[in-house]
Amino acid sequence: MAIFSVYVVNKAGGLIYQLDHYAPRAESEKTFGFPLELVLRPHDERVLVAFGQRDGVRVGHAVLAINGLEVNGRFTGDGRDVLEYLSSPANFPVSIRFGRPRLSSNEKLMLASMFHSLFAIGSQLSPEQGSSGIEVLETDTFKLHCFQTLTGIKFVVLADPRQAGIDALLRKIYEIYSDFALKNPFYSLEMPIRYPLLLGQEQQQGPASPPPVTGAALEAAASSPLNV
Amino acid sequence: MTVHNLYLFDRNGICLHYSEWNRKKQAGISKEEEFKLMYGMLFSIRSFVSKMSPLDMKEGFLSFQTSKYKLHYYETPTGLKVVMNTDLGVGNIRDVLHQIYSYIYVEYVVKNPLCSLNETIQSELFRSKLDTFVRSLPFFSARAG
Amino acid sequence: MARQGSRGGAESKKMSSELFTLTYGALVTQLCKDYENDEDVNKQLDKMGYNIGVRLIEDFLARSNVGRCHDFRETADVIAKVAFKMYLGITPSITNWSPAGDEFSLILENNPLVDFVELPDNHSSLIYSNLLCGVLRGALEMVQMAVDVKFVQDTLKGDGVTEIRMKFIRRIEDNLPAGEE
Repeated sequence: MAIFSVYVVNKAGGLIYQLDHYAPRAESEKTFGFPLELVLRPHDERVLVAFGQRDGVRVGHAVLAINGLEVNGRFTGDGRDVLEYLSSPANFPVSIRFGRPRLSSNEKLMLASMFHSLFAIGSQLSPEQGSSGIEVLETDTFKLHCFQTLTGIKFVVLADPRQAGIDALLRKIYEIYSDFALKNPFYSLEMPIRYPLLLGQEQQQGPASPPPVTGAALEAAASSPLNV
Repeated sequence: MTVHNLYLFDRNGICLHYSEWNRKKQAGISKEEEFKLMYGMLFSIRSFVSKMSPLDMKEGFLSFQTSKYKLHYYETPTGLKVVMNTDLGVGNIRDVLHQIYSYIYVEYVVKNPLCSLNETIQSELFRSKLDTFVRSLPFFSARAG
Repeated sequence: MARQGSRGGAESKKMSSELFTLTYGALVTQLCKDYENDEDVNKQLDKMGYNIGVRLIEDFLARSNVGRCHDFRETADVIAKVAFKMYLGITPSITNWSPAGDEFSLILENNPLVDFVELPDNHSSLIYSNLLCGVLRGALEMVQMAVDVKFVQDTLKGDGVTEIRMKFIRRIEDNLPAGEE
């Protein structure tokens, strides 16, 4: 899929809707002998590869599972500290699964709020008059597009850098959202979008006389023929 | 098309150099605060981008644009950061930023034993070579007014 | 596009290796006179090498377009095949990897610094080419790697080859921003 994620952020920087829509990130599971050729370090609540790279394991990958048992942050499935476990030769050979860490919901909230501030700073540091905040942010693996409405809501889409037509997608998402915000009297503005009608049902499109199925509509918009 | 301004930061966040050619609006804060804010923003963008990316990255953050300007970013493995703001018509200028690093910074600062690294560049030669280089870029044109 | 800097004239900037060997030799002998004991001279050479290394890395990155190394084996390859070739015109071989992959040896068949040099008996603990150790240490520190570099064999001391042992100590995280890869 060429669209990776959609985030909707309210005026205060709080995340009110989030959708991930991409293939699973690269993971690799290998058996290692002592000593481990990779340098590991703790970071936030995970154990990451700091240095060393082989067979698909890259710097920045996290330890996801040991001997088939998923790790719980910095501790193994059965409660032992991962770094201690991996520094004792008695525990080798060991099979470790590495991969790009998935974002937890807390992290997504934090990143949405971070982007909200970066957006504003982009405008403040502008060398030209009357600049908006960050509208497009480009990296070598994805392109982030942001549309801020006059009411201060931001729609953020992460897509493949070569994907075209994102502006149209952003406008469409805005339409769907505004239908939902205007027409559902039970939705309080700025609050997370959480209604059960939003989950499930893949292929539904557009307005219907029951309340618009916003989440499914947003998913459908993201997977529409717009994507390659 | 034009170049608005350029910042050079070292790995510790110290602003080694700043030049402007076509800047219509100041940030409204002192230059030191502006450098700190710019560096802080770039630091956060890099962290943001590495968490958000669905795939392993090689070059990482490249550029961003707003409705009025585009910020281009280039970082060396030694942590030196070249940041150039241009107008929106300019495409990918990573190789230009690399040239600023290799032909100007390395030649006139690193190879000059009298220039100490890790502090603002005093060398007038560096400043003038950089200025000539930027003015000669095909996308630089001094705008009237 | 007008190029500033005179990279185009690189050929005309080549210096003869004899001049280089003589300059280095004069430096070492002067240090021996100034410091009178070999250990201090070794330390000074290492310090000087370090100061060279922290700047040389920028020139190296600028000219070779090599990106960040993510693995110590990659680092070893780049040092031996690109850096040594670029600056000293030789390609040492990489051997003797430790099981953990954090230590290796560079074997230099010939060392341009020591052409025609013979160590006198009263300087038996002088590490003549110690500058190289400092250069490697300084350069790698600038790309966030703390390493230990030392000579374990030296043709000047009667060994068959010159061997430099490099050990990876740790990644320098202090200046590394969060999320850096």
